[in-house]
Amino acid sequence: MPQNPMSALRMPGRMESLPARHGRFFVRLAALACVLVLSGCATYSSSFAKIEQQLAGQQYDDALKTIEEKSKSKTERVLYLLDKGMVLRMKRDFAASNESLEAAKQEMERLYAASVSENALSFVVNDATVSYAGDDYEQVLVHLYMALNYLELGERDEARVEALQVDIKLREIGEKIPESKFTEDALARYLTGMIYEELGEWSDAMIAYRKAYEAYKKYQDNFSVAMPDMLKHDLVRLAQREGLTDELAGYRKEFGMVPEKKKAVGTGPEGELVFVLNNGLAPIKREHVVGTFAPPPSVAVDTSRRPRRPAPPMRVIANTRETTAPPVLIHIALPYYESRPCHVSSARISVSGKQADTQLMEDIDAIARSSLSARMPAITARAVARAIAKGAIQESVDKAGQQGDDAGAKLIGSLLVRVAAVATERADTRSWLTLPANVQLARLTLPPGTYDVQMELLGSDGRVMATRVFPQVTIRKERKTYLTQHSVP
Amino acid sequence: MNWSLFSTKSAAVLLSCAFFAGGCATSVERVEVDKTIDLSGAWNDTDSQLVSAEMMQDVLARAWLEDFTRDKKRQPAVIVGEVRNLSHEHINVNTFVSDLERAMINSNRVQFVASSTERQEIREERKDQDLNAAEATRKPMGEEKGADFMLKGTINTIIDASGKTQLRFYQVDLTLISLADNRKVWVGQKKIKKLVERSKLTY
Repeated sequence: MPQNPMSALRMPGRMESLPARHGRFFVRLAALACVLVLSGCATYSSSFAKIEQQLAGQQYDDALKTIEEKSKSKTERVLYLLDKGMVLRMKRDFAASNESLEAAKQEMERLYAASVSENALSFVVNDATVSYAGDDYEQVLVHLYMALNYLELGERDEARVEALQVDIKLREIGEKIPESKFTEDALARYLTGMIYEELGEWSDAMIAYRKAYEAYKKYQDNFSVAMPDMLKHDLVRLAQREGLTDELAGYRKEFGMVPEKKKAVGTGPEGELVFVLNNGLAPIKREHVVGTFAPPPSVAVDTSRRPRRPAPPMRVIANTRETTAPPVLIHIALPYYESRPCHVSSARISVSGKQADTQLMEDIDAIARSSLSARMPAITARAVARAIAKGAIQESVDKAGQQGDDAGAKLIGSLLVRVAAVATERADTRSWLTLPANVQLARLTLPPGTYDVQMELLGSDGRVMATRVFPQVTIRKERKTYLTQHSVP
Repeated sequence: MNWSLFSTKSAAVLLSCAFFAGGCATSVERVEVDKTIDLSGAWNDTDSQLVSAEMMQDVLARAWLEDFTRDKKRQPAVIVGEVRNLSHEHINVNTFVSDLERAMINSNRVQFVASSTERQEIREERKDQDLNAAEATRKPMGEEKGADFMLKGTINTIIDASGKTQLRFYQVDLTLISLADNRKVWVGQKKIKKLVERSKLTY
């Protein structure tokens, strides 16, 4: 933001010479100026470029240091903990990652109760003054990543705890906004099913797979994510195992699968490798300014003139005659999502001659966008209400100024309050920015043993973009071994 | 448009809200360990203590102990197996398991042998003694005491939630299983039910 508010504040000599009856008026001005300074001028998302660069360069320790700079913020504590947890995960420090994510979860729970004072402040400053508790999908994904962390640590019962928590969370979301597009998280349900199945809890696994099946049907309609083939096989296998003949026949008919003699994925004496690709980075919220200024209330004006950039407040003031108050400034800033570039389209894992390609399981980019568009009417309504409140403040300051006869004081007051109104109006661009754009999965059945797993990242044209070898991966009998890769462009 | 919708006063009041949110210094108050303090409604120390109190009293009062001592003319040896957490919370089961262990050992009627994880470290030490300790103090290998019973258990939960109200039901089951013939000689159970009301507003 421009230097204007600062230069206006650095005029103590001028202010002290003003008559004493302006005291009350200047207290109010000082209050506004304080809010302005407190709220800062950069939006949340614009401070993220450095971390993004460090992640792309796989300098996780440096990224953690950059994230640590945000640890002091009270309103963004959840995001600090989420980002820290995710980067620790990229660094493959799963235990520390879970500590951070668990803390984030508790903070989210604490913020379930809306703060009256923060919300009152957001009515005159901006939405970013309210503590960020995480979007619904973010609150679900914490559990998903904690479960994945536990699975990579081999702590299956702890992963099961997360599976149960995800169920409670999804029930809560479904009850809160039943018409929302995101009431079920298909990947979380699917992973839950895999956890139960590995623990030998077949009926719970079947229920989870069924819920995943329902969720992927919704994903197909809302986010065009197709039902993954592995889920189809899981449904058929478990329906067969549980003796659900009608359901089994239904799935076979729907998926066009012919009965097979015996298929042993994950249930035979073999083990299984589950590879998770966290591809790219989730979309980032940017600010879109849609307001400029309006003349005094008697004249109607088209406020959509020049939607992108408001005229600099300084010049507006200079052009108006000194006898009348400068026009009341309306400034509305709204967030929108911008996808981040992603060059990798899928991955292929190869283990001792066997190969598997990853399949798209969750499109976080699409989920985030749909979540924001569902919230947009409320965000816009709040921004308009705020613009009216700020307009009222500007006008009342002008009126207070007219009582005095010091033309200079009047101008400074009117100017200051306008600068504050414009500078404090920032879009809330906060979101969990270290999330991937999408999550993909590949499963490979292998005999027990120790393997070197080769992974290739493939571009959209099938070209190999990068390779990595995971040495000494142990596959145990009737167990699943989880392997994670984060790919940040 | 009418800009005078809000008076200067109401705007000033809203603004001043911002300045009340000042920080306070950390305060610490020491409390008795048996005092019940519920913060979030999640599993806490009070639940753990309720479970150990119930189990400790029950396990020593039941017939299995008398029967064994009479038949074998010695105290039973117990080993702690796995207590599985099947609940929806990350619960540390070690607190009440070690409470129970302590109560049984201190009763002077039951012996405990080291669990499988503890044993490894002790065997390492014995191996080391074999090389380095004086003959008189050296402990030979192969003379470990075998356990007669294994203590196993589970924690299960049922959660029902609607809006800001949550009903949490915990059930802790502990079982003593005879290693000789797989008989379950004692089953202890503790049920805890909590109604949690979450606040929708804070200052």
